[in-house]
Amino acid sequence: MKAVAAQQGDHGRAGRPVLLSARGLHKSFGGVHAVRDISFDIPTGAVFAIIGPNGAGKSTLLNLMSGVYRCDAGSLAFDGTDMSALPAHRRVRLGIARTFQKIRLFKQLSVLDNVVAGFHIHHHIPAWQYLVHGPAFRRDHARCRAEAVALLAFVGLAARGDAIAGSLSYGEQRMLEFARALATKPRLLLVDEPAAGLNAAEVESLLDRIRTTRDKGVTVVVVEHNMDLVMNVADRVFVMDYGQQLFEGKPGDVQRNPAVVAAYLGGELM
Amino acid sequence: MRGRSIAARRLGFLAAALAIAALPMVLTGNYWQTNLTICAINVLLALGLDFILGYAGQLNLGQSAFYGLGAYVSVLLVMKWGVPFWVAFAGGVMFSGCAGMILALFAVRLRGHYLAIASLGFAVITYQILLNWISLTQGPLGIYAIPPPPAIALPGLPVIDFHNPTALFYLVAGFTLLVYFLLDQIVRSPIGETLTAIREDDVSAASLGINAAAWKTFAFGIGAAVGGAAGCFYGSFVGTLVPDAFFITESFTILSMVIVGGMGTLTGPVCGAILLTLLPELLREIGDLRLVVYGAALTLVVLFMPGGLVQAARAVRAKLGDLRGSTR
Amino acid sequence: MATIVAQQAINGIVLGSLYVLVALGLTLIYGVLVQINFAHADFVTLGAFSAYFFMHALGGSYLASIGVALLVGATLGWLVNVAIFAPLQRKGSELLPLIATIGVSVMLQNAMLAWFGPVPYAFETPYSARVFRVAGTFFTLQSIIIIVVSTVTIALLYAFMKLTFLGKALRAVSQDRETAGLMGINPNRLIMLTFVLASALAGMGGAMLAPVLVLTPFAGASVIVKAFAIVIIGGFGNVEGTILAGLLVGLIESFTTQYLDPGLIDIVVFGLLLLMLALRPTGLVSEKREENV
Repeated sequence: MKAVAAQQGDHGRAGRPVLLSARGLHKSFGGVHAVRDISFDIPTGAVFAIIGPNGAGKSTLLNLMSGVYRCDAGSLAFDGTDMSALPAHRRVRLGIARTFQKIRLFKQLSVLDNVVAGFHIHHHIPAWQYLVHGPAFRRDHARCRAEAVALLAFVGLAARGDAIAGSLSYGEQRMLEFARALATKPRLLLVDEPAAGLNAAEVESLLDRIRTTRDKGVTVVVVEHNMDLVMNVADRVFVMDYGQQLFEGKPGDVQRNPAVVAAYLGGELM
Repeated sequence: MRGRSIAARRLGFLAAALAIAALPMVLTGNYWQTNLTICAINVLLALGLDFILGYAGQLNLGQSAFYGLGAYVSVLLVMKWGVPFWVAFAGGVMFSGCAGMILALFAVRLRGHYLAIASLGFAVITYQILLNWISLTQGPLGIYAIPPPPAIALPGLPVIDFHNPTALFYLVAGFTLLVYFLLDQIVRSPIGETLTAIREDDVSAASLGINAAAWKTFAFGIGAAVGGAAGCFYGSFVGTLVPDAFFITESFTILSMVIVGGMGTLTGPVCGAILLTLLPELLREIGDLRLVVYGAALTLVVLFMPGGLVQAARAVRAKLGDLRGSTR
Repeated sequence: MATIVAQQAINGIVLGSLYVLVALGLTLIYGVLVQINFAHADFVTLGAFSAYFFMHALGGSYLASIGVALLVGATLGWLVNVAIFAPLQRKGSELLPLIATIGVSVMLQNAMLAWFGPVPYAFETPYSARVFRVAGTFFTLQSIIIIVVSTVTIALLYAFMKLTFLGKALRAVSQDRETAGLMGINPNRLIMLTFVLASALAGMGGAMLAPVLVLTPFAGASVIVKAFAIVIIGGFGNVEGTILAGLLVGLIESFTTQYLDPGLIDIVVFGLLLLMLALRPTGLVSEKREENV
């Protein structure tokens, strides 16, 4: 993995080290440019919001960051190392986790088992103990379950551990996906349209969890199309439309920017 | 066996071991000796397929190929090149396992139906090779006079001679129980969770750091190796080897056993294999219609009780629980 | 040498057009339902047997027996859709319907084995005896009939798909079932129509194949493996691709038989299939698409 020298020890505008940086990202699908020449730096420990109208290319950008899609051009660096060629599952080991816009839980498994699945890269069991369960296995098993229960408590699902994931309400499923992503112990958490389908109380509860997660040192990227939501929680905002960058800066400045206003004309801005 | 304590499970294994030990003494006669061993072999085949299909969620129609490869490789090693039986056994198992991993190369890039057809193609090609490579396999004429495993002489104990069908049954059934135990340990570990995650949703599994390609290859390797082991026993049990025993219909038979028993569990394939092996034998009149029964069972189970016998047993237990008025 | 090549080419086209008939049924069903009917092969066999018994037991004419086979196929298609695909659609599983049809296929094949026995039936038609000789190549009237009937059927089907409302509706349903439903098309009726049509083609293919191949309960099975290969090479759901691939496979088979051992045909065809799946699973003619997350 090549170290990208320019990002080494680079400090973003907020004065914090850069965790993830993108340069010149391009992605097309059959002639449609979903993402065009996108560049940004995400500072460590911030809540970084990516917003834009529907169809702006936000989810595509998230998929590029998490590795579901490969960029047609451009580069992505995480903590100084180039990860453009890394497949999605490898990026998790770097410390990147995500949730999905269309909920992708393991619906047939229990709530607890969904979270436990998130510990995949954190098991410490010698190979032979997979065949004959020994003390290290039992310790790991107990530890995972305890941590999973704690995560469920964090998202307010402590009482639902044994329920089948598919039986949860939509809002509860979103929180479960959040908990599962946190189980991978990420340094960067990508959250894709978390508010879609939630009522006001659920949204507030979610934003609260995002703030707490940020306070615990996890950098969070939130993709949303609802401006108000984002204003409440973001430290920096990146605005997109038609696959291109419109603006990047502090939340307060976003609302004053004429290009952004034009893009959201008639939308939820003011 | 979900939710039962470790002690209950250990008792279960002990009970199974005792049952296996007792069976040949209760069910005597040539007929039972043959069928009990066939049951054990079918259980192995079904367990192998279920690991790939029920746990990793890959529709593998090529199990007959791994069965056949295990049989032919081990028998040829013994009879053409004089390799000792257990070394040949290991060779057969490893060869099948590798073949499984080759098929996995397709599984990692293909979804459901395409994989089913690719695995079917694999099975057809393997069968045709066994049939047509006459200089190696003797083709349809077959290989005869295959000896059973060599006798084991342990100090202080009587010699275990595998010409004795009961001894051979104990060997095969004992091996099957061991495989069951190991698979049980695996599926109860994080590996089981990983395979389930891949089965449920590839993409979100990747978002948790799961390398789906590697684990699918693992599942295929294990499932194929277990199928190959069944083939290795088959050769020395039956004494003759013809390619027709490994025609693609075998794949469908094994599939029926897994589905009827209950895929995605380990007890399912065991029950399904035992039921579908013994039932047609018990209903002797239907003889030729044995396969019609398999086909009908498969279709009906999929339509009305996709979880198989295991699902039916759970439903019955739940109903009984309701009747007794106990709440869960 | 040229005459041998020409001869094999003719044989290849005859075989190929029959394979196309069978494969088209599979591709139509996949296009509209994204499912495979594993018992499709056995519809071919049953079509062949019904034609045989219509001719030899009831004394019907060969051409009429093709019609009988068509009807038998259509009925079977209706049954399988009603009994299996329609009820399982609600469960939303990708693989269960396939597994159920594997069960149906096993049932049908072995029931036929029990009733008709494994000994091949000699399906003689008055047309297989009339031989023509043109420029050193032989072909029977049977072959001409096969080519003519297949070509006409395929052409009619193609016209149906491209020109009629129903045909367009069918294509609409394959591309986007929800939207098609919103436009007033009843997807379930269309699926049923597709099934009946596809299975009728299979039955008809069986009636025409029987004089050319060996008629046993496993006749369909030997064809189905090639039909799968054709559908994959041509691209699931892609009609043009299937036609091209069908002719290609027919030609490959015919030349393989001439120059290589017949037992190797399956290996060659399936080897090609596996190669195809490894390199271009979506078929020769279609595009690769990334999954929508």
